[in-house]
Amino acid sequence: MPGGFQLVHAKPNRTAAILLSWFLFVLGIGLYVHAAQKRHQGNAEDRVVPTIPHMLHSTYDAAFKPGEDDEQTLGENANMPQRFLASMLWKDTKASARRFFYSLLLLIPAVFLGLHMGLFPYVGVFFCRFVLFFDKIIALSLLPILFIAFGIDELSKIMLIVIGVTPTIILDTFNLTRSVPQEQVVKAFTLGAGDFDVAYRVILRQIAPRVLNSIRLNLKAVMLFLFAGEMIASTDGLAYRIALLRRHMGMDVIIPYVLWVALLLFLVDVMMRLINRKLHPWFREA
Amino acid sequence: MALIQFENVSVAYGATSHPVLSNIDLSIDEGEFVCLLGQTGCGKSTLLRLVLGSEQPSAGRVLIDGVPHNQPDPTCGYVPQKYSLFPDKTVMGNITFGPEVSEFNMLTRLTPRYFRQRREFRQTAMQYIRRIGLQDADAHKYPDQLSGGMQQRVAIAQALVNHPRILLLDEAFSALDPGTRRDMQVLIRQLWRGTGITLVFVTHNTHEALQLGTRVIVLARETPNHGSHVALDLTVPSSCPTDEVSRLVARLDSAAGSAREPDEFTSAIGDSTPRDLAAATNLLPNEI
Repeated sequence: MPGGFQLVHAKPNRTAAILLSWFLFVLGIGLYVHAAQKRHQGNAEDRVVPTIPHMLHSTYDAAFKPGEDDEQTLGENANMPQRFLASMLWKDTKASARRFFYSLLLLIPAVFLGLHMGLFPYVGVFFCRFVLFFDKIIALSLLPILFIAFGIDELSKIMLIVIGVTPTIILDTFNLTRSVPQEQVVKAFTLGAGDFDVAYRVILRQIAPRVLNSIRLNLKAVMLFLFAGEMIASTDGLAYRIALLRRHMGMDVIIPYVLWVALLLFLVDVMMRLINRKLHPWFREA
Repeated sequence: MALIQFENVSVAYGATSHPVLSNIDLSIDEGEFVCLLGQTGCGKSTLLRLVLGSEQPSAGRVLIDGVPHNQPDPTCGYVPQKYSLFPDKTVMGNITFGPEVSEFNMLTRLTPRYFRQRREFRQTAMQYIRRIGLQDADAHKYPDQLSGGMQQRVAIAQALVNHPRILLLDEAFSALDPGTRRDMQVLIRQLWRGTGITLVFVTHNTHEALQLGTRVIVLARETPNHGSHVALDLTVPSSCPTDEVSRLVARLDSAAGSAREPDEFTSAIGDSTPRDLAAATNLLPNEI
């Protein structure tokens, strides 16, 4: 109907936007509470869908009660921060975060490789086919090889993340480098720039916000490989704990852990966005 | 000896495709203001890129000062139509980029001398910013905060601050509105007069070519299967009556293979010599 109301141009006001954006969260929580109540009416000891108070109690235990090793060392009068720093949740978070950030650091060479591949034709020709092939290998299928080659220590888990995410970052950076208009490169040379000035002072600075975005969008993949590694071979970490509690049907801890991981990932995402905006005030996302 | 020399230059992309340029023989002297004119796709920009060194001829040679020119370097300043500024740098950063990378590499930028000299670069850049008609406050703006005309002014300043021997403008004003375009024409004439630089200016606009250039070179192709050649090489008289200008426009349009209606710009300016243009823009003729 040509003269009809166009939904495309219907813009929600502020109140409607807030209500609509929170609606699915409220609905999800409501459905969960309802399901938990139903199951507990039938079986008061149900462990599959724990009630919210039960989960809060278990979360408190996980976050403010010392782990088994620290039960002796932490005194009776320890305050909340001390309790939190000695808790199972904090220790697992610390272990996973350490692996996570090491993996992010190892993505930096991937960015530089992609940049050089995109800018210098010889480097591009040398690496491109190999990286494209490598990108098609399912990283999880390499897990047994990694455990055999690197043992079940930290290195194999970090290598899994690196192998899983690095090709994507290399290829993304490569494509971003290639998308910088040739005029910019030519212009830089006419202004007296050398190869590395063009690489680091022209191209890298222009693609940096998009590369950060690419890494930000791959955070979930990083966590996915981290969890796979921790679940199979680890003695600490968030995924290790989830895998361990699965054996005991500990849904009252698993669900808060899953939400905690999502919250952490969300915070890292927000932080990276803020850093990107601060470092690159000129950048406007398309 | 000519500053820029084309010796029987041809350009074709791939072995089987039709050539873009065929057997171009051309020489441009130091201090000339050459306008390259021709229809879309006739190879004007290709010719410019050959001078720039960002493109290589399939046959023949392009010499600058008698030496083959194979890659872009500071001999030629370059102002393209689009992407003329680095988006991640402010106006100041764009203008000081050339002097900084010319004088300091990645390591020497860590020395105290760099920080001392950077102050000088900024002072020079500020002089250029004022000279191209921008305000001091514009120095800290990013390109996307500037209008199209201001961006091209900065791009010209960025190219000139390095004192290139040749300045190449590739349809640098074609995306601008008629008023801004007229201001830019005045500016480029002023800068050309002031610096004595050799200027090669690619344009579609016959009137613009006649008003700005000391020489107009028209590229045209006889059939689609042949590359373009120099159809007309005209030295523009320093002053001529209006009917003579109309005659020259008709001659250039005919050589380019087009008989076009005057566009918005030419309608606004009319048939005018640099002297008339000066009157229209309240500038002295010798400022143009």
